[in-house]
Amino acid sequence: MHSHMCTKYRVTHFSLLFCLVLAVSCKKLDLAPADRFTELTFWQSAENVNNALNNIYRSIYTSDRFFYNEAMSDNAFTKLGVNTGADAIASGNFTPSLPRFQQDWAYYYGGIKSCNIFLENIDKNTILPENVKNRMKGEVRFVRAWHHFNLMKWWGDVPLLREDITPDQAKTIGRTPRVQVLQFILDELDEAAAVLPRKEDYAAADNGRITRGACLALKARTLLYEGNRMQDVVTVCEALMDNPGANGNYGLAPSYAALFSDKTVNKNNIEAILSLQFVPSLRTWGDYIDFAPISAGARTNNLSPTQELVDDYIMLNGKAIHESGSGYDEDNPYANRDPRLRATIVYDQYQWINPDGSVQTIYIKPGSSPAGQSANEYTPAGQGTATGYYWRKYWDPEYTAPGFSSGLNIHLIRYAEILLTYAEAKNALGQMTEDVWNKTIRPLRQRAGFNSAGALDYPGAAGDFTAIIRRERRAEFAMEGMRIDDIRRWKLSETVLNGWAHGAKFGDPAIDNGYLRVQLRHFENPTHYLWPVPPSERALNTNLSQNTGYN
Amino acid sequence: MKNALHKHGLSIFGICLCCMLLLNAFPLFAQLSYAGPANKSFWYQQRNVKITLHAKNEKLQVVLEKIEKKSGFVFVYSNDEVNASQRVSVNVKEKQLPGVLSEILSPLGISYEIVNDKIILKPVKADDPLKNGNSDAALTLTGITVAPDIQNDTLIQGRVVDNTGMGLANASVQLKGTTYGTTTNNEGFFSFRVPADKATGQLSITIVGFLSQDVSLQPGQPLLVRLSPDQRSLDEVVVVGYGTQRRISVTGAIDNVGNEAIAGRPVANMSQALQGVSPNLIIQQRNFEPGQGVNLNIRGLGTLGDNTPLVVIDGIPGGDLNLINPNDIENITILKDAGSAAIYGSRAANGVILITTKKGKKNQKPVVTYNGIYGIQTPRITYKPVHAWENAYYKNESLVNSGMAPVFTPDQIREFAERGDGNWRVDNIVQNAAQHSHNVTVRGGSATGTYLLSVGYLDQRNNFIGPDYGYKRYNVRLNQSTELGKLKINTILSYVKVKGKDHSSSSGTLIVDASRVPLYYSFTDSAGNYLTNAVSAQFNPKAILEKGGYRQSNDDEVFGNISLEYNLFRDLKLRGVFGGTVRSNHMFGRRLQVNFIPGGVYGDDREVLDNNYKSLFTNLQFIAEYDKQIDDHSIKVLVGAANESFEEQRNQLKKTLTDPDLGIPTTGTIIDQGDSYNSNQRIIETSIHSIFGRAGYSYNDKYFVEFNFRYDGSSKFAKGNRWGFFPSVAAAWMISEESFMDFLREKVSSLKLRGSYGILGNQNVNAYQYQTTFFNYTNAYGFNNQAVGGAGFTLGNPELTWEKAATFNIGADASFLDRRLDISFDYFHKVTSDILYQRRDVPELFGAGFPDYNVAKVKNRGWEIRVSYDWPGKVISQSFSVNLADNLNELVALTYGTTQQVERKEEFELLRRVGQPITVYYGYKRNGYFQNIDDLEKYPRFAGSTVGPGDLKFVDRNKDGVINDQDKFILGNPFPRYTYGFTYTAQAKGFDLVLFIQGVGKRDAMIRGEQVEPFHFGYGGTMYRHQTDYWTPTNPNARYPRLAEAGSAANTNNYRTGSDLYLFDASYARLKNVQIGYTLPASITSKAKIQRLRIYLTGQNLLTLSKLDFIDPEITEFDNNTSFNTGANSARAYFLPVFYGAGIDLTF
Repeated sequence: MHSHMCTKYRVTHFSLLFCLVLAVSCKKLDLAPADRFTELTFWQSAENVNNALNNIYRSIYTSDRFFYNEAMSDNAFTKLGVNTGADAIASGNFTPSLPRFQQDWAYYYGGIKSCNIFLENIDKNTILPENVKNRMKGEVRFVRAWHHFNLMKWWGDVPLLREDITPDQAKTIGRTPRVQVLQFILDELDEAAAVLPRKEDYAAADNGRITRGACLALKARTLLYEGNRMQDVVTVCEALMDNPGANGNYGLAPSYAALFSDKTVNKNNIEAILSLQFVPSLRTWGDYIDFAPISAGARTNNLSPTQELVDDYIMLNGKAIHESGSGYDEDNPYANRDPRLRATIVYDQYQWINPDGSVQTIYIKPGSSPAGQSANEYTPAGQGTATGYYWRKYWDPEYTAPGFSSGLNIHLIRYAEILLTYAEAKNALGQMTEDVWNKTIRPLRQRAGFNSAGALDYPGAAGDFTAIIRRERRAEFAMEGMRIDDIRRWKLSETVLNGWAHGAKFGDPAIDNGYLRVQLRHFENPTHYLWPVPPSERALNTNLSQNTGYN
Repeated sequence: MKNALHKHGLSIFGICLCCMLLLNAFPLFAQLSYAGPANKSFWYQQRNVKITLHAKNEKLQVVLEKIEKKSGFVFVYSNDEVNASQRVSVNVKEKQLPGVLSEILSPLGISYEIVNDKIILKPVKADDPLKNGNSDAALTLTGITVAPDIQNDTLIQGRVVDNTGMGLANASVQLKGTTYGTTTNNEGFFSFRVPADKATGQLSITIVGFLSQDVSLQPGQPLLVRLSPDQRSLDEVVVVGYGTQRRISVTGAIDNVGNEAIAGRPVANMSQALQGVSPNLIIQQRNFEPGQGVNLNIRGLGTLGDNTPLVVIDGIPGGDLNLINPNDIENITILKDAGSAAIYGSRAANGVILITTKKGKKNQKPVVTYNGIYGIQTPRITYKPVHAWENAYYKNESLVNSGMAPVFTPDQIREFAERGDGNWRVDNIVQNAAQHSHNVTVRGGSATGTYLLSVGYLDQRNNFIGPDYGYKRYNVRLNQSTELGKLKINTILSYVKVKGKDHSSSSGTLIVDASRVPLYYSFTDSAGNYLTNAVSAQFNPKAILEKGGYRQSNDDEVFGNISLEYNLFRDLKLRGVFGGTVRSNHMFGRRLQVNFIPGGVYGDDREVLDNNYKSLFTNLQFIAEYDKQIDDHSIKVLVGAANESFEEQRNQLKKTLTDPDLGIPTTGTIIDQGDSYNSNQRIIETSIHSIFGRAGYSYNDKYFVEFNFRYDGSSKFAKGNRWGFFPSVAAAWMISEESFMDFLREKVSSLKLRGSYGILGNQNVNAYQYQTTFFNYTNAYGFNNQAVGGAGFTLGNPELTWEKAATFNIGADASFLDRRLDISFDYFHKVTSDILYQRRDVPELFGAGFPDYNVAKVKNRGWEIRVSYDWPGKVISQSFSVNLADNLNELVALTYGTTQQVERKEEFELLRRVGQPITVYYGYKRNGYFQNIDDLEKYPRFAGSTVGPGDLKFVDRNKDGVINDQDKFILGNPFPRYTYGFTYTAQAKGFDLVLFIQGVGKRDAMIRGEQVEPFHFGYGGTMYRHQTDYWTPTNPNARYPRLAEAGSAANTNNYRTGSDLYLFDASYARLKNVQIGYTLPASITSKAKIQRLRIYLTGQNLLTLSKLDFIDPEITEFDNNTSFNTGANSARAYFLPVFYGAGIDLTF
């Protein structure tokens, strides 16, 4: 053997070998996913732009926030509050690192990012007509204002994001003074209102889109929450109440109960201004599995109406239960009450209408039920109600399995709110006249099912309108997450969120007159009127200041 | 393709390197001589003795004696085989022993083998019996030469077996102090004659890979000699990346685990079997359900991502330890450091586990082996609810403590006591379950080929009640090798089928629902109806198990591997390997509706689900290996190129509201859009190109140095960041071979120092992460009651590239007392940088999640020690083996400037903080209880909280007089430390005993939920026995605070604040396995043509010692990176099965 020959021989072999490896392994290293678009191509397609917009609609709000926020107020109690944090916020036993604060912060800023990305990229699309793109931008600007409104509501000063930010900006941006955030929201709503159609101008298939009316309604709410802009509130409300030609025709749906539980009414009515849209069995919410009576198929009860809420429903004669001459009977407490109580809350001996139309009696009082029907009874160790009450409002008789998948829309803003906002603003301005009454409280009570003069007629200039309007709001919007906003802006939290929250009169008569003690609450005034900026955010962005009272 | 390579500078580098190595090597190659020992691996000892010898026409016997004197070796041969009286001539000067031997023996047709201090002589076997006419001719011939003395000779006969009773072929048997001797046949039998007057004394038995043994002759009695394997023989060949090495030349931290470590153990899969057998091979479980995988890692956690080591089965990466039949495994090698693992470059950062399956032997008649185990698994339930009446009493106390009225009257409590407990307890949804496995292996070989065929079956029944839940695995394997001249062909074909069936719910939910209901209740009423109650109002776990439907999996895996090895020249081998794995998995699930009394329903969605998975993995390797020995210099070079490609596809169809009886579509049936998808939505493709190599040099078997490298390009990264180079260097020094160690030679059999340093890679990230992508999805929103689609986006990171782990290792191996005592020690230090992790420096304000960035850095240090001792006694031979290891990681950088990340897990928090182990528990520290009213004034508490006596005080860390977020401590490290294993074996008179203990010396566990908190919200309705140690004025130092209702200030202070109240010491020691076996004497079994028959009793998980006694201390809530994404441990894992059974090992 000769060495040089062999060397050559071997080198050839090796070259061959490597070529072979590479030839056989023909799988390229540049691999792209088959089910996704890249940045380059995505915005070209009109379908994709529509989908991006739909995604923004989806991020407006969630059903669990909508319902469980009730438990932060004196309207309800949640015993398994871990996931929503509402129990800790209501009881005042929380630290700034409570996950709920960070979750909401992240939720709203996540929504804002989608909006900003949309607004900055939609013009890359050359297929959609300009007017359609302008309308879409209006919808998105409304949503961006809505998220900022929620942030401002909970935290006060918050970073205002007019455009998409980079990671570096997110690490340095500071909190914008509340007054500037407010101005941004109002301006944006004005500009969106200018380009958005009235609800009547949309095609039927677009039912549910954001309208000019929604812009005005959110503006009314925003101004009302300020407390010192009542004349502006009146102006905006009147634009909605008196100018259907320009802003859309709104009114009250004939049936209060049907608005929340009847599929047809819930989806097509004159009252809804902005609703979170759902579709049976395709896009659904399932919270009712923890709201309904156990015998109606619920898993547990994790959101229970309080006695305090029940007590605020007036009598059919228009009087509050503790007013003289109300006729309220503590031993028969649910008789002759505001019909909305029955449409909202399930109490002992409630006649529950099953999906098939049959009726079952809900026995809640301990030891009161016939044999075999004890599932709904109050027991302190049980999975049933913690307060002695269940819910009925938003019950969907056409829910589908699994659980309680409901396709009912969730109303975020409805015309009833405009009426009560108007009444409150007028009252604050000292203008609660019979005319205003007859445009607001009276039709709401009529629709609710009152027919006594005591309830419907203007009580005269001496009426305690502040109390009446507050009670009316509480009853009308129970289970719609409005109460926590109201008690914060009315500075009532320090009163109603201190001491025990109660349940029905199933307890030891020696303790609180027999009303069940449900949760001992504590409200730190004024600290708790604003949420703490999440410490995890402040750790990463030292320019984020903290609200007073938290550290 | 070649151009593409040039772009990466790969081809130039690769080819040049190869050429250089080969050119350098070639002159050496030319000097090659064919003389050499039959097995050159065994001549390290004394082989450098140089011999000068003159002999002319002398008897071979005399010449051999002369060599014995000069070299210190002893010759062993049978007079039946070697004619020692033939005359030879030799004339050598200062020549090495092997050369001398070859010169003398080769012409005589005698081969030799050096075993320890013996040189065994044997006639060279005729290759082809036909050529020589009669294969017995040589024997007959030598038989004749010794025939004259035969009348006066004594026949010595017997059998040599290993510790499992298998006959050992080719063992040398020598009458001590003489040259009389022989070797054993294929079944281990031997016989030879010695002159009657010499038939006394001792026989010395020697064979490679086993400890030598001397036995006294017992006249007229056949001997049975049982040899223990020599685990530490320096001549042993160990499997390393892309090849094998002699143990002596190993420079890296390699641990070799023989199959005896798993033999006879009733483990369902390999990953369970590996627990405790190798130091710092850490195995944790998330639950013990049949078919579940384990967390497996080597040397702890080095990265924040996946820490799972690379598994290489028969040379092909990416194997699944849960699918391989443990009975098929010959050997497991664990590559721990950069020195040994760098040849696997990109995937080696977490270590490598090399598995070699059994093969047949050449020239072996078919051997048939059967192994079977049958036994019963008993679930180990660790907690007990209190009696119904007790619970009512405790509940009242809890209510009263919370300012509420009691709910149970004394009469009711008395009634509970009289009526006794209901049967709603977890014990009633589990039962004892059988587990059995059977394996049949046939192996053997011809002169040019080997074969092994094995068939295995495992059936592990599930401990849950219900119809036929369990896990079955079928394994078939065919390993073959054929030699065609210079070409060697190895083929491996394996097929695995796994069939599993379980219930349609989640095991954790069933267990918790069955265990947290007070004993006032029962699962069924007297009519057999399934009940619900106030605590479990919706579900009845017994009903779900018995009637609620099932999930059935049916998975197939085919693994094939063809390897062609060609001896191009004497020292140069070329090898091409093509391997692939096809997986095809199918799952069918069906939920059935069950209605409960008085209310509640399960499975009302009546879901029917099909899920299909198909993947193909291919691996192509070309390797050139050059191996050269010149005098004292030994050179080994290996270079190779490889591609690994992988693609997988899934599809799924889910329908709900199907026909209640048949599960087929009917009125109202819905296809679940969100959970149904086609193949094009679930395709993943990845590919890696690689070039790798190893160059080793050693001098005189005293000094060793080795370089390894790998150059990998991965499709998971963008162009420009794609290629990674991973080199390592390692060296070893055999100190005991130095002359200055001579004086210790009696005591120190060997002593070696090793060291290595290198860079390893990790690319365990999801594919496609470097691209920002948009995806459409269905049912995002609705307009006018019609669903519409939506589009989301995922941000990409174009800079994504490899993680790099720089690993330093130093180790020592020492043997004492004639290799009976063996000690190994390793220390390592590993710094993993560019760890792929989500950015944590950006606040949520940014509004979107991030892909992985190369941001974090982790330091990991540790050590491992292994001590084993063989104690062969006259009657009883024993062995002890202990391994102990520790590792402690530290987060050096998290992401950019951010130094910590906190994640809340229900009540307490997990923390990642620079300077601490990568995940630690975080929360408040208890400081005793408020014992009285005075205390309430004195001690700090949470702002606004109203506490009372019996509530927890917390440490005010910053002494500001109030407890808040600033007062949190790092409470513990959830990752095990001081992991150990201990094995004891003993054999005597056919009996054998194995004890195996495994444990963890230090681990913290935070456990949440009803097992810690009495009446946990409304979810938990009962208290447990271990919770009755709660605070009362008369029990002021209780483990748990006073009872109080959820929502009360006391409960909020005590249980919602996330303190070390939830912290437990999860260290443990567990008697993992005990085996007591008996091997029937060969004299009996051989009559039935049975080589070996062993029967044994075996038990698994028999005893556990731990301070944590109400849940299993082995259970972790984490996956293999102590990930933040896992929930807290809430004590709802499937129970540890305790196994009792018996087995049979049978060999024909």
